[in-house]
Amino acid sequence: MTTLSDQQPAATPARRLRWNPRGLDAVGLAARLLLGGVMLVAGALKVAKPEVSARAVQAYQLLPFDLATYIGYGLPILELVLGALLIAGLFTRTAAAVSGVLLVAFIVGIASAWARGLSIDCGCFGEGGTIAPSETRYLEEILRDVGLLLCAAWLVIRPRTAYSLERTLFADER
Amino acid sequence: MSTQAKDRRAKIEAAKPKGRGGANKVVVATVVAVLAIAAIVAAVIVADQGMKADLAAGGSSLPKNAPAMGAGLVVNPSAPANVPTLDLWVDFQCPACASFEGTFGDQMAGMTQDNEVRLVVHVLSFLDSNLGNDSSNRAANAAFCAADQDAFLPYHQAVFAGQPQREGEGYTDGQLTEFAGKAGLTGAALNTWQQCYEARAHNQYVESVQTQSAKDGINGTPTLKLNGKPLELQGLTPQSFAEQVKAATR
Repeated sequence: MTTLSDQQPAATPARRLRWNPRGLDAVGLAARLLLGGVMLVAGALKVAKPEVSARAVQAYQLLPFDLATYIGYGLPILELVLGALLIAGLFTRTAAAVSGVLLVAFIVGIASAWARGLSIDCGCFGEGGTIAPSETRYLEEILRDVGLLLCAAWLVIRPRTAYSLERTLFADER
Repeated sequence: MSTQAKDRRAKIEAAKPKGRGGANKVVVATVVAVLAIAAIVAAVIVADQGMKADLAAGGSSLPKNAPAMGAGLVVNPSAPANVPTLDLWVDFQCPACASFEGTFGDQMAGMTQDNEVRLVVHVLSFLDSNLGNDSSNRAANAAFCAADQDAFLPYHQAVFAGQPQREGEGYTDGQLTEFAGKAGLTGAALNTWQQCYEARAHNQYVESVQTQSAKDGINGTPTLKLNGKPLELQGLTPQSFAEQVKAATR
């Protein structure tokens, strides 16, 4: 009995490699740094110019004007907080879940702007507003956000990652 | 499961710290959540207060031929009812506006002079926050002070002709005064313009036009509408421009 159970993993090295928890932790780390890095950069590029951020949200013409303005003011800080938490690896699952909700909202917004024939910049990293129809990058913007959404989904499903602050801080995460 | 494996698992469980030696997760989560919410609320309040202060700064008088707060300036109110209304949204720091002005400016001025269109200009100032200066706002104030003396369009043309090569360099007060001279203001007229400009007599109107245009979905410049219909700038030629104006005349 013992010999059989000892032999089984060795007989399928490929399978063992695939499910190696350290390997999965490393994938999680990559997802965390990618999603967190993009969030942090997006927030940092907009945080000093709240009026520009507000106008970028207004340009989607999806929300009531004043609500769009306030969301534009607050969004860069939220992105900074989520980016910092993800990069540090603190409350990874929650930060990834909130980022995922934001990304879904961004994808819906961009797709709707595209479908309504608006020609705007997504305003993801500052700027935003109307641009020439030939300068729109809707497909690229949506694909980028879908990629980031996959990172967020991974972290929600498997929040355990290498080098995370939550494993250092909290006893029950070790 | 073998007995060795069971023993190993038991040892691992025993070695795990049980709620000791780690930070309290609930406390850390609460601190992070409170700080995050406080930062977001603070950012919204600070930005909102800043915007409200901008909207309330300067004088509240309407420039001549501006029908209401938020509405564009009617350059030629004497235009007959059958001619189309041409709405133009520009920001004095916008390079694309200067290049539009370079191609179509004289034609547009001619159409306005001859009352072939009713030209309504909405001067925006949103590029200030993009570029980190206040030149669009000051140039707009200066242009509306010129409007009080029926010199809006020449002033508008002088600003675009004098736009700096590099976007973001902006305009000095000296340059804005020079443009007043180029727009034909001299002597007492220039003094009146200067007083109006220094008092920012029409600043609340300038801000109201920016806000109203954003509400109307105008967030890029130059934007043109002929009788309320967007005028496609891509591929527009002086000839097709003239044809469209003619077609819109009743």
